[in-house]
Amino acid sequence: MAPLEMALAAQAAPAPRISRRRLIGVAVLVLLLLFAFLPLLVGGTDPLKQSLRFALKGPSLQDWFGFDHLGRSMQARLAAALRLSLGLAFLSVVTAMIPGIVLGVLSAWCGGLVDRVISGLSDAFMALPGLLLVLMLTAIVPDNPAMLYIGISLVLWVEYYRMTRALARPLLASPAVEASRLLGFGPAHILRRHIWPEIGPMILTVGAYGAASAIMAIAALGFVSVGVRPPTPELGAMMIELLPYYEEAPHALLQPILVIFLMVLALQLVGAKDRP
Amino acid sequence: MSILFSVDQAAVHSSSTTLVEPVSLALVAGRPFTILGETGSGKSLLAQALMGLLPHGLNATGSALIDGLPIDLTDPGAQRPLFGRKVGVLPQEPWLALDPTMRALPQVAEGHRFIAGKPTRLANEAAREDLLALDVADCADKLPMQLSGGMAQRVAFAAARAGGARIIIADEPTKGLDVARRNEVIALLMREVKAGGTILTITHDLELARQMGGDLAVMFEGRIIEQGLAEEVLDNPSHTYTRRLIAADPKQWPQQKRHADQSSPIILEAKDIEKTRGGKRLFTGIDLTLRRGEILGVTGQSGSGKSSLGDILLGLLPPDRGRVLRDKAIAKVRYQKIYQDPPSAFPARVTLAQSLNDLTRLHRLDAQRIAPLMQRLRLSPTLLSRLPGEVSGGELQRFALLRVLMLDPVFLFADEPTSRLDVITQAETIQLLVELAREQGCAVLIVSHDRALIDKTCDRQLAISA
Repeated sequence: MAPLEMALAAQAAPAPRISRRRLIGVAVLVLLLLFAFLPLLVGGTDPLKQSLRFALKGPSLQDWFGFDHLGRSMQARLAAALRLSLGLAFLSVVTAMIPGIVLGVLSAWCGGLVDRVISGLSDAFMALPGLLLVLMLTAIVPDNPAMLYIGISLVLWVEYYRMTRALARPLLASPAVEASRLLGFGPAHILRRHIWPEIGPMILTVGAYGAASAIMAIAALGFVSVGVRPPTPELGAMMIELLPYYEEAPHALLQPILVIFLMVLALQLVGAKDRP
Repeated sequence: MSILFSVDQAAVHSSSTTLVEPVSLALVAGRPFTILGETGSGKSLLAQALMGLLPHGLNATGSALIDGLPIDLTDPGAQRPLFGRKVGVLPQEPWLALDPTMRALPQVAEGHRFIAGKPTRLANEAAREDLLALDVADCADKLPMQLSGGMAQRVAFAAARAGGARIIIADEPTKGLDVARRNEVIALLMREVKAGGTILTITHDLELARQMGGDLAVMFEGRIIEQGLAEEVLDNPSHTYTRRLIAADPKQWPQQKRHADQSSPIILEAKDIEKTRGGKRLFTGIDLTLRRGEILGVTGQSGSGKSSLGDILLGLLPPDRGRVLRDKAIAKVRYQKIYQDPPSAFPARVTLAQSLNDLTRLHRLDAQRIAPLMQRLRLSPTLLSRLPGEVSGGELQRFALLRVLMLDPVFLFADEPTSRLDVITQAETIQLLVELAREQGCAVLIVSHDRALIDKTCDRQLAISA
């Protein structure tokens, strides 16, 4: 066998090294996902079902999480709220990522007018506080999770755009890309071998941070009663609903707070860069 | 003769190995001391150990005597009170070492005032005298960015010794400088020596070692393998490594010049080329003709546009005036370039095997050719599975050569191909480049700041000046 093929075969599977922090983050995230989506598979209580005789009942052996002020199962409500938050955050991140990266590469590649127009657009979005943009959209069409999703995606794409542009610009001007062009390679090769390997690892980090900030934004809007309307379970809305009962049932108020904390922590740990 | 600085059994260790084996040396007033060695020989680590500036995780042992004061090298902070007062450091990049927001005079006066403890007025006077002595009195009110490289170096030098330091440590003071600037730096250093101080120079530059004179130590793999008077060591080296090092100096190379065969076909012609960059006209009215197998050297000062000329010939830059004509029958990819900094010329996160495989697939090349060519370039097959950052500069430059040779080039523009390589590696790389180009009938345009290198390897020369 020729040395080239041997070397190609040898490099096939580089052992992936995952840091311990990232591993802990993934573990917490998996547990949260199981908690959120398992009721869909095995069947659980309806998060909207009220039974006032259970109102503000504390945790017990049958119901580990207790009940809220209307006697709804906290476990069912938390799971439903988590599904909404995680699903919306994931969707927004993916929706923001794709145009962000495409526009970033386009901007770095074309330069000139194209770059200026797209950069100007992204600056315009940056000039507007992110939460305000989402607030505006939700005010126009109230009680519609789609508006939340569009608003958050519109805020998040700028980060991907800026990161991609900043990474791709020096790469495209580098001798390595010049050499590849001289050797006859086209844009597809330059994207695949030069740009993607540099941007790819960054995407996980930015994506995890983006998801964390999306979750915080959804909860913040729910807390000020702008986002999702009751009775739909939503972590921020649950907090504001349970706030008047914090003396009688602190467990009920603490649960959504703890869930947000765990979710954001897990995403931050997943996104954390490996220290050399 | 008084000994200003003596070192006894200085060594550098990491947690697992000894990086620099015990070294003893003595610096005498009025005589420079030079440590000569290649990258990785441990010479910079030794200098850092002497200054107490070793990177985290490394520790030094041994002791030193600085102007009569004993210093324990195991304690990294021990030298600190002597900084500026007894020992000064001439930085590698003077531009980066000077405070960009401070004018030249106060930068020098600072040393006089805060280290030597003079009152403000006297410190300013002393600084002005220093600048005057170094012929840069007119720079006193300029900011570092308004100074030329040479001027900045002199200001940095004045600042380094303002506190009264008579022992100056210079780490690679001539790195990346052209000949004129290098001679300037040597004159600057020698001045200090004549004034009764001493200089410890750390360098890979044979010419610098030769011109400084005084004492010389040659370092190799963490050991001093030879030590003595500079002239004696350089003229009569006793160690094989020193001999190899000296033989690798372009001045010692065999003459490879050949008369061009006027019948071989012309592959590139440039007519009346002119280029202006950044408001400065680089060159004008350049005509040149290149035939197959010819080697043309381009010389000129740094910033004179040598590389721009090569890029224009390759079509990477448009000329402001004039035309470049190529043989239309020859494919475009047979005009290739070799870069100055090999790691920056490869995609950083792709293995060498993958890069070569992409190339052979794109042009449907015969992959069987790779093995013999690698053998010819003395590249081990085990290197293929590595990333560009994981092989040495010399090896990577040979990979760059392999990559372009696969395309049967007719023209190669080698842009300072060896300026980032060590002397011995440089000799090997240029030798291979010339040999293979001659064999394949490929024309080469070599750009270098090293006159000797161009003199020995090129058939013809072109000097660029505005």
